[in-house]
Amino acid sequence: MRLLRLLLPVLLLTSLLFGKPEAELDRLFQEGNAAYQAENYTESIRLYEEALTRGYACGPLYFNLGNAYYRTGSVGRAILNYERAVRQMPNDPNVTFNLRLANLSVKDKIDVPPPFFLLRWNERLVNLWDARGWAGLFSVLLLLAVTGLAVLLNFDLGRLRPVLKSASLALGLLSLLVILLFGQKYRIETAADQGIIISSAVSSLAAPQAASTELFIVHEGTKVKILDVDEDWLKIELVDGKQGWVPASNIVKI
Amino acid sequence: MRCLKTILVILILGAGLLAQDLRLTASVNRNNITDKDLLTYSVTIEGIRDFPDVPPPESQDFVLISGPSQSSSIQIINGQMSATKTITWQIAPTRTGRLTIPPVTVKYRGKDYATGAVTVNVSGSTSGQSQARSVAPAQSAGSDNRKDEVFLKATVPQTTIYKGAELNVSFDLYYRNVRTFGRKKLPDAQGFWIEEFPAPSQPNITNETVNGVPYRKAMIQQIALFATTTGDLTIDPLVIDCEVVQTNQRRRSVFDDFFDDSFFNDPLFSSTKVVTVQSAPIKIRVKPLPENGQPATFSGAVGKFSIESSIDTLKTRPDQALTLRFKISGSGNINSLQLPPLNLPNSVEVFEPKIAKKIDNKSGEIRGSVTYEYVLIPRRPGLLSIPALTFAYFDPETENYRTLTTRAFNVRVSGNASSPSGPSAGLSKSEISMLGQDIRFIMREPTTWRKPHETVFSQFWFWLLNGAALLIFLGAIGLRWWTDKLESNLTFARRRRAWPKVQARVRVLQERLAGNDTADFYSQLDQALIGYIADRLGLALAGLGPGEIEPALRQRLPDSDLVKATLKLLIRLDEIRFLPDAIADEEPAGMLKNVRELLNNLSKVI
Repeated sequence: MRLLRLLLPVLLLTSLLFGKPEAELDRLFQEGNAAYQAENYTESIRLYEEALTRGYACGPLYFNLGNAYYRTGSVGRAILNYERAVRQMPNDPNVTFNLRLANLSVKDKIDVPPPFFLLRWNERLVNLWDARGWAGLFSVLLLLAVTGLAVLLNFDLGRLRPVLKSASLALGLLSLLVILLFGQKYRIETAADQGIIISSAVSSLAAPQAASTELFIVHEGTKVKILDVDEDWLKIELVDGKQGWVPASNIVKI
Repeated sequence: MRCLKTILVILILGAGLLAQDLRLTASVNRNNITDKDLLTYSVTIEGIRDFPDVPPPESQDFVLISGPSQSSSIQIINGQMSATKTITWQIAPTRTGRLTIPPVTVKYRGKDYATGAVTVNVSGSTSGQSQARSVAPAQSAGSDNRKDEVFLKATVPQTTIYKGAELNVSFDLYYRNVRTFGRKKLPDAQGFWIEEFPAPSQPNITNETVNGVPYRKAMIQQIALFATTTGDLTIDPLVIDCEVVQTNQRRRSVFDDFFDDSFFNDPLFSSTKVVTVQSAPIKIRVKPLPENGQPATFSGAVGKFSIESSIDTLKTRPDQALTLRFKISGSGNINSLQLPPLNLPNSVEVFEPKIAKKIDNKSGEIRGSVTYEYVLIPRRPGLLSIPALTFAYFDPETENYRTLTTRAFNVRVSGNASSPSGPSAGLSKSEISMLGQDIRFIMREPTTWRKPHETVFSQFWFWLLNGAALLIFLGAIGLRWWTDKLESNLTFARRRRAWPKVQARVRVLQERLAGNDTADFYSQLDQALIGYIADRLGLALAGLGPGEIEPALRQRLPDSDLVKATLKLLIRLDEIRFLPDAIADEEPAGMLKNVRELLNNLSKVI
């Protein structure tokens, strides 16, 4: 408690110095919403993007920005922002719905074989919560498990002892499982190798040179994995494993 | 013909040939000629009946004028049949001196047979015409006055040219009385691309005096040459057959005056004979094009050119064909013109160009145009930019390179590609059911604003919770270790419990003092002090007095006033206990205070 009392003024001070311009962000968000409702989508894009330039974001901002881009016909940027929104709000049905709908307009239909059912379950489980949630759950479970252990070590509980013992063991195992899920989700959320094609059609070349052989064409909105960077060129991989080089200006990282 | 002498060199190869004895002989009609004369070179094969092919003689010193002409004969002498075949060429020397016609090799039934080499003396020309050659016909060898009645002269404007530059050669016939002529052989010119100008249907005839002899001059042939290699090249002679009118040397008679008018001098009334005339070979030096200042896009065009580009539309739809045309026109080596490659974006499909060449030779120089017609099919919407094309040529007149640039085009390709796969291709059932739907509406309220790449590791609560877990874990382990040690180690337990124990005793004594209960006070005080020291130092309590405590204390605190003070107090307490008189001048409260101070001081060091 004393520690908290010491830290509180420090926290307050830092939040004042480096505080989030929340009022400003909220204002831009609401103005963007108003412009969207007035069907002035370009203006709402401008306002939302301006909010993003302040260095802060939230799931709804990405979602609304994606909607505005969708309305102006920029499917690539719409998908990009929905993907960013999904990272912030993995379980929001609106975000997943709009992302699926926007993906229907993507020209590249790449068939991906359905993953093994265990992997599918794992994926569903991982996507149940965001990394923050998993980290919080892990912390709480760990704290409980450790407390149980402390009590077991230092107090004579008589008949309750086996009950507490199995309970803290279960908590410990559970926290291990949760940290595995957290690790996966954390990797998904911080993955810097995912990008969305934002140009209507891009030729994917065999080498990072403009004169090189064209291998295939990717269209706006396709999600690609970025494997390598060579100056202004990115080496991309499609879901089906096709690889090629594309000028970096055609791709935005999620 | 009088001095005709034949050298026969007979070479018999293959000693094993018995039944079929092949003999190969090379001969010339004469050995001493001038450089204006023609030479007849013959190869005779004897002894076999199936004659192999005979290649023409190959020499830098001679040019082939005509031939081969063949004649064969079969003789039967004394029942033995002998067949002979003679192959004849007309050749002309290219220089003077002692020239050698190299052997001609014939392959027959897997064996090589060779003729001998033939040597010919070529003397310098007696005529002053450096670039003209006249051949006296054999029949008229006796009449020298007719020797130069016709000759052919080839004229070039210059003898040193650039590679690829146009060189016009005109052939003029100088004659006095020629009825017709027929071209026998167009000049061959190795290393040149030859373009022929149309022969004038009515040659322009002028009068010209050569070496005091009046001639009529007619330009009968003009060709344009474009050198394709560099170095010293030779333009071979043009050979023509002329029908020369013979003026009969008749004895003049009375009728002469009558007949000597224009009507009877008409060639129609005269006899004619055919004379073969050829021009002199011309040496041309071909210079390579200057390296200096040669543009990168230069591809060999020499002359004067212009280029224009055109496109049929600037607005189109995907998958609709466009026609892009480039037209290079001008004068020069049209045949070797090459358009630099087109640099088009990958979004457009390009077909092989249709190339149309048009050459116009009617205006005294070779003019023409090359049209490249490209068919482009843009495959996706957007702005299709067709870059400008750079075409470079060399102008031999100004001797420098010129670069022309075409217009660039920007074609707007709008609309959707009519690809066979519609938007609904490859959609699953659930996706098709979504097609009619619209996106869900925007969210009204923002959630917590966060830095986009802020992770849970920068969250205070995360570290707080995990730190707490760690602390609890370490605390629990530590506590367990502590209690275990207290239970198992008596000395440790005494040491650890010494302080609370002595504090409790002092507190009791203080309470008793407050209640004026001083009985046994000093004894209790003494025991509390000794007990504390014994607990801390791990000494046995039984029979412990100042004497026993001192060495243990000294050992722990080698030189400290605290030891003295402790001993002093202990001795004092003993005194008070055993000598009750000493109590009188002692305050119990003051003593208690002294003991507490001492305990406080001791607790810091032992």
